[in-house]
Amino acid sequence: MAGSRLERVGTVFTRVRDLMRSGVMKRSQKPLWYDVYEAFPPKRDPVHVRPLGRPLPSRLENVPEIFYREDAVRARFYEQYGTGPRPFDLSRSNFVSTCQRFVNKYTELEKQSDLDQQVLFLETAKALLAEGVVLKRRTALPVEESREPALELNPSDVAAEQSPADSQQK
Amino acid sequence: MRTTLTFCGTLASMAARALTKGVWGLRNSRSVAVKCQFATAASVKPNQSQTDYVAEKILKLPLEKPDFFRVSELFSLKDLFDARVHLAHKTGCRHRLMEPYLYGSRLDHDIIDLDQTMEHLQLALNFTAHVAYRGGIILFISRRRQFCHLVEGTAKDCGEYAHTRYWQGGLLTNANIQYGPGVRLPDLIVFMSTLNNVFQQHVGIRDAAKMNIPTVGVVDSNCNPSLITYPVPGNDDTPAAVELYCRLFKMTINRAKDRRRQMELLHGLSAPSTPNV
Repeated sequence: MAGSRLERVGTVFTRVRDLMRSGVMKRSQKPLWYDVYEAFPPKRDPVHVRPLGRPLPSRLENVPEIFYREDAVRARFYEQYGTGPRPFDLSRSNFVSTCQRFVNKYTELEKQSDLDQQVLFLETAKALLAEGVVLKRRTALPVEESREPALELNPSDVAAEQSPADSQQK
Repeated sequence: MRTTLTFCGTLASMAARALTKGVWGLRNSRSVAVKCQFATAASVKPNQSQTDYVAEKILKLPLEKPDFFRVSELFSLKDLFDARVHLAHKTGCRHRLMEPYLYGSRLDHDIIDLDQTMEHLQLALNFTAHVAYRGGIILFISRRRQFCHLVEGTAKDCGEYAHTRYWQGGLLTNANIQYGPGVRLPDLIVFMSTLNNVFQQHVGIRDAAKMNIPTVGVVDSNCNPSLITYPVPGNDDTPAAVELYCRLFKMTINRAKDRRRQMELLHGLSAPSTPNV
């Protein structure tokens, strides 16, 4: 049977159509899917696109970043309280995390009263405490915890400490 | 009679398909022979044209309606969301050609636009249904070892074929030598994942385009959708998403085949009544 193996020239449909037009492929040899493709073509013609040699600088602007107005509140919440007391249960689609409850309460209070941002933040924390959600502040900074006390010792100091100890033992 | 193809996959389904195809062909020729026995020579021609007319009607009627098999009822946007179809890879892995299908990126994670996915999935399922209705051979391909068993099981349940192992170079392009002369190639190839194990485009996509076989494929944000006839932008890594796709394709193909049997019975019953008039 006649065929055309040029996958980079046109689409599957155009090649078969042109083969039939030119008479190389008989009408009786028409493939099964030809009529279906003709009746229901895809949204985009499946033409081969040559790969670009060098990535264009404009590629980053095509896909917008998704940010919401509540993200500012979320950022402050995570900075102050860490991930919150309750772990995330992603198996339920209607799950509301501690952070989301905080954000909902914050937006509620923002609509009702016209206070400052920081004051609103504290008010929301108080309101959640009243509902029974305990928020523990992140106390120690992570930078300090990573320092090993053993690394701060000098060998000369260790030697100096040891020699009086040895002399005492003798 | 077209010879059926053997693939290193489901042999039982192949045997079943060969049997049904043989029975259909036999039934058609047998019914024509029966009519010829009791009819005069003059009325032989109208009977043949009648069967041709009926066959054409069976094939042409579904193409006139936009959703003959009602595939849009099989899934909803919420189903896609719950199966995590909208979650794509990180922004660094993004393929340039997938940008039109993305909704946006949330903290460096790409999110696929599910409205577009709905339309693409509807087109893809509709095409698959029509090909299955016409008795086309459908081949499922997925090189993800995690879902290899699932894809093979799906193919077995619909009576179609699957290839989830190492792809030998000349499978489609050198089929006449590898499998024997006069092999029938698939009429549609469905990719559950268009990448192979080393994150390059599966050879089957290029080979299908070479052999003029249309493809339907689930394209993630790191895939190249340009050569795929009916791409479906969506997540191909999460088990929930892949199970959803397998379920949808299985239901569409079974629906299409049942519809075909229904239409044949319907028109097969009406044809013998007319010569008596």
